[in-house]
Amino acid sequence: MRAWAASVEEVFREASARWTLLAYFALSTLFILIFALAVNLDIVDGALAGAKLFGKELDLAGEKIDMDRLVLGFETGFSGVLFMLGTFLALFATAHLVPRLQEKGTIDLYLSRPVGRTKLLLSRYSGGLLLAAANLLYLIGSIWLIVFWKTGVAHPRFLLGGVVILFTVACLVAFAFLIGVVTSSTAVSLMVTYAIFFFAMLLSAREKIAAAVSTEFSANLVRTLYWIFPKTAELAQGTVALVSDGAHGVAPVDPLAVYGTTALFGILSLVLASWRFSRKDF
Amino acid sequence: MTPVIEAEGLRKVYRSRFGTRRVNALDGIDLSVGAGEVFGLLGPNGAGKTTTVKILLGLTRPTAGGARLFGIPVSDPESRRRVGYLPEGHRFPGYLTARQTLSIFGRMSGMARSAVAARVPDLLARVRLSDWADVKVKKFSKGMTQRLGLAAALVHDPDVLLLDEPTDGVDPVGRREIRDLLRDEAARGRAILLNSHLLSEIELTCDRVAVLRRGRVAAQGRIADLTAQGSRYRMTASPVDETLLAAFRDTGASVERVNGHIVLGTRDLTHLNSLVDALRARGALLTELSPVRSTLEDVFVDLVRTGEGAEKTQ
Repeated sequence: MRAWAASVEEVFREASARWTLLAYFALSTLFILIFALAVNLDIVDGALAGAKLFGKELDLAGEKIDMDRLVLGFETGFSGVLFMLGTFLALFATAHLVPRLQEKGTIDLYLSRPVGRTKLLLSRYSGGLLLAAANLLYLIGSIWLIVFWKTGVAHPRFLLGGVVILFTVACLVAFAFLIGVVTSSTAVSLMVTYAIFFFAMLLSAREKIAAAVSTEFSANLVRTLYWIFPKTAELAQGTVALVSDGAHGVAPVDPLAVYGTTALFGILSLVLASWRFSRKDF
Repeated sequence: MTPVIEAEGLRKVYRSRFGTRRVNALDGIDLSVGAGEVFGLLGPNGAGKTTTVKILLGLTRPTAGGARLFGIPVSDPESRRRVGYLPEGHRFPGYLTARQTLSIFGRMSGMARSAVAARVPDLLARVRLSDWADVKVKKFSKGMTQRLGLAAALVHDPDVLLLDEPTDGVDPVGRREIRDLLRDEAARGRAILLNSHLLSEIELTCDRVAVLRRGRVAAQGRIADLTAQGSRYRMTASPVDETLLAAFRDTGASVERVNGHIVLGTRDLTHLNSLVDALRARGALLTELSPVRSTLEDVFVDLVRTGEGAEKTQ
């Protein structure tokens, strides 16, 4: 447990020393501040009577808009943006953890301690995940608080959207760790993971692609790949559906097909990464 | 002496990615180091020194043979609980301070945070880094980084130290301090395995050495035994004239005059004593008689060249 805590602490110390993470927090803070200062709402009897953006009056055509619906609409749309942003930034902030650990002159320092290799890898994985969770909590929590401050409307489901994003991050970081263990390259593990992210999004249209390809083998290959890879498009949809709670016409996703198979992908990636790491000669 | 480091028949074959090339890094290494012993591992580049140390630490798996630390197979991480290691060319995270580095690596060795915090000031003082405790490692010179590495190897008070080029980049005063520190640790019962290219350092620090060549132990033993040149002795006496030297030669001894003294080659100790008797019988006074020794460097170069010669003739 002490070794685990020390390893997680080191991940956080490294993150705090890296400009990328500082930049992430700075950008998040800037975004939050702009959002907090630029929007001024005039609420009368729980409805929006007037709004100013950067001091300029917005034309509401004399209508009173229900605040609850407005906030839900904003949070639903914004959760989709956060899914992409949160996932990308979390990967960017953690993909280096394994390649840096495996650097010559560094790995010896860690493996010469009485810590099993799997435990060492998993401690860095959990450190990376905690880091991603802290980033997400900061960004989503701040936006949620500001919305509450400006409108008096609180939707806890917006915060739950962060859990789905973190789940997606957990599975993708596991895959980035696998590539990092095999190639010892941050750039390669980032590129391959981002490629998988987008490729998996394309595969959500598997039936259209299968109908367009010329052979049955290709069609089956597309369908097989869909079930192997994480369901990134459906996870984004799941995030939005969870936040909107069925409003705005966003359909919920099949939990087993989406979360189950994506979790399997993440677990398998982590198992393979641990297996390869524990057998590697340094 | 119960061995704390043991290796038996260690073999390591490195294969290229597609298995087309094979390199025999180790070809049957046997080693044994006891508590309180300082053991030096010598050899030219590629002899297998680092591979041996990496196998002892579980960083690399042997192709055949086995190794144990405190009787525990090196494949078990528990074997490293009482081991301190200083790798060659180590790179501590530059964003950590010296204090944070020792705290993190101490806790990774199973120490409680409070125990590390209590030990760090003393440890930093021992390696003369007290004034740099809260400075980031990236600002350290090479010698300072090396001393921090030594402190990190000692942080959990290990019973075995495996040190790869511990004085690399350290100034002469620092080298002396590290030598003293290692002797001090050995006196406290630590077993030390030292891997160094600096033969003078090894000669000054180690009790026993093994010279590796092409993955095999070419020679192993106490430095005094390895550097002793059989039955050659240096004699200083007076008066010594040509008649006396001729009498020595008549007994079958080889005799050379070298810079005011005589180098004698004898069959054995009895033969040597008979020459001393002959010297005294002629009224000469003996002022010095000592075995002729090579330096460790002479022994090392001879062993390496002999090996190369043997390989060329094969």
